[in-house]
Amino acid sequence: MNTSTKRYLKSRFHDYYREAKIHVPHSLTKREWGFISYDSMPETMMYRHKAFGTGGELRDYLVSMQPAHVYHSVALYDYPDAPTMKEKKWKGADLIFDLDADHLQDAPTSYAAMLEMVKAESLRLLDFLVDDFGFDEDNIKAVFSGGRGYHFHITDPLIWELESSQRREIVDYVGGKGIKSEYFYQKEFMIGDHGTGTRTFNDRTEILSKYVIKNPDTGWGKRLAEYIASYLEEEGQKEEKERFADIKHIKGFGKKTQQQMNRISKDSKALEDIRRGRLDFGKIRDFKAIMARFFDNTIDQHRVTLAGSAQVDEPVTADIKRLIRLPGSLHGGSGMKVIPLSLEDMEDFKPLQDAVAFSDRPVTLKAIKPLEVQMMDLDIRVEEGVQELPEYAAVYLMCRGVAEYGSY
Amino acid sequence: MERAELALYPFTSAASQYVGELDFDLDRLINSRAFQSARLRGEERLIQSLTSGISKPSLTNTDEGRVLTELLSYPYARILVSCLNDPYLNRKYSHAEAEAAYSLLLEREDFFLREIGEEFGIHAKQHERGFHLHFADFLKYSTTLKAIEWKLINQRMVHGNVFVERKDFARLLQEAIKKNIHEGLPLKVPEKTCTDCSGALSRLKELLQQKKGDIENGQTGEVDSKLFPPCINYAINNVRTGVNLAHSMRFAMTSFLTGIGMTVDDIINMFNVSPDFDEEKTRYQIEHIAGSSGTKYTPPSCSTMKTYGNCHGTDDLCKRINHPLNYYRRKMWYKKKFKKPANTKEKKGTE
Repeated sequence: MNTSTKRYLKSRFHDYYREAKIHVPHSLTKREWGFISYDSMPETMMYRHKAFGTGGELRDYLVSMQPAHVYHSVALYDYPDAPTMKEKKWKGADLIFDLDADHLQDAPTSYAAMLEMVKAESLRLLDFLVDDFGFDEDNIKAVFSGGRGYHFHITDPLIWELESSQRREIVDYVGGKGIKSEYFYQKEFMIGDHGTGTRTFNDRTEILSKYVIKNPDTGWGKRLAEYIASYLEEEGQKEEKERFADIKHIKGFGKKTQQQMNRISKDSKALEDIRRGRLDFGKIRDFKAIMARFFDNTIDQHRVTLAGSAQVDEPVTADIKRLIRLPGSLHGGSGMKVIPLSLEDMEDFKPLQDAVAFSDRPVTLKAIKPLEVQMMDLDIRVEEGVQELPEYAAVYLMCRGVAEYGSY
Repeated sequence: MERAELALYPFTSAASQYVGELDFDLDRLINSRAFQSARLRGEERLIQSLTSGISKPSLTNTDEGRVLTELLSYPYARILVSCLNDPYLNRKYSHAEAEAAYSLLLEREDFFLREIGEEFGIHAKQHERGFHLHFADFLKYSTTLKAIEWKLINQRMVHGNVFVERKDFARLLQEAIKKNIHEGLPLKVPEKTCTDCSGALSRLKELLQQKKGDIENGQTGEVDSKLFPPCINYAINNVRTGVNLAHSMRFAMTSFLTGIGMTVDDIINMFNVSPDFDEEKTRYQIEHIAGSSGTKYTPPSCSTMKTYGNCHGTDDLCKRINHPLNYYRRKMWYKKKFKKPANTKEKKGTE
């Protein structure tokens, strides 16, 4: 990134911050701020331990300094501008979830497809946040990061004081980690009303038993029940020979089991029973192994992979002193807006259109390498060399470091 | 709370407020003959913390003298702990106070448990088979309990409320009490006060030394601990310093030690320092892992240890083996084959 590119980007950011809607975080005066400037690039130097008293002070700073990246602490401190953590005096922190394409397995290479995948992951997380954790929608702020993912800020005061190890439990919960199947289903003996199937032989009565899911109405128990019911329903649509391919090989999955499952898969009342927690598959010798498979599949389908430091496998969520991008600021690596989203907007949000901050006024630039960009519903093919592009695409390419401003 | 209850739950704010209102001199508690029985009981609290666990008297409001003795023995015990200021004792003592309270709480009414909960900011509600509380309150005290059944993911949680049975709620209260007492230690005690307590302090110091000595001499026999892999040594050091082990690490360590031929008693002596120590339960677990139920467990492989985050301090030999037992066997073999020279050479790797 050469000097004229830096100067150009800073002037564009200057104009943006004069008009932009900045989403000042709650408890502003208790937050630490950090900035990265274009001036120091290619070095990334973070200027931190800064604090602001008002939203106006913050805006003045952004307009006059035009930083490439703007972060505030998730934590609240007594002395946010003190130079060391100890002196800052930690008072609590919002709960943050960071979802990032870099941390997803098999993420597609196209930016648009990648963002689509992270969005699906985000919607899964929302399900946990609202249904399981019961967070009020007013306390959940979803934010497009301006880069490759989404952030969720939970501002509910009830969670402010949670320590790292306690937040890690939340990470494990949404990640399906440490789940123990024996806490989710149990054997129940069919007595009383259920006693119709009881057989007596040589004066000994065999009491039939069935398995039940313990909490089919909530949390992972509900997801498990739903998974089993819809799995059987879907298998029922297939040719008989092709059904149950992934559990067929399990020891004890015999003809009888298959017959029973065939029957249930076509019986909407039986499927409803499963959703209510009743697992009446008749006698299956290796029920545990089949359940283990169902469990694994349920977890695969619902778990949320959170971003964090790869070296220590520490998710952002557990880091109670982290800095996070300011909603309403620009992402200096893409020139796009860090946009807060209402939960209803999330589904229809189109990052490559809705997060674009700049105009389509033509700008001359020199591309260092060829590239394809999808922005504003356009497929923009960039060739190497000097050309004119809409301002938003020009800013994007310069921020990514694949183009320089001007024609020389 | 009634007065007898204040004496049995002396860590509550109501109890400390009551003691405050008695308006007597600290000096009298330390030196006056009138409070001798309170001081003896205070010292006993600490002795019991290091040995059998604190046993609580049964008190009624009419036993005024005994209530006062019990009540004042608590601040006295805390003064002694603070003068000694030994991390191991601080932990043992907090644990013992909390454990004794837990036993009492199991016998109490639901409303009383809730009242104690409020003391620590746990706002619980009752339901037919126990209590429910906000998950943040649950997490504040559940994460120190390492068993997998305490993980949040294994709870029944409905819209942020975690449902726990009565017994488990009492267990959470025990953790809350322990944390609260432990965080309050040591108190700032004037030097003169500690000097005045020197008799009790030197008796306790001796007991403390003896207890710590027992731990260090706890394992010997045919087993050569110099040949243990780093992960097992790490676990043993943790146990010796009284740090609670995660269940998976405890399992790995125990199955390793039985695997190389240590007896159940040898191992129990090693565990004896853990603040959670419960001999009966520990014995059961070790015997179970050692094979009394018919299945003998082998320790997990290196890759499993890594998965659970239990692989600590890898050395050169670790890279060449895939199982902690093989590490030990390999070193034993070297030791026997090369007696002196190889043994000293190998030592480089482990230390």
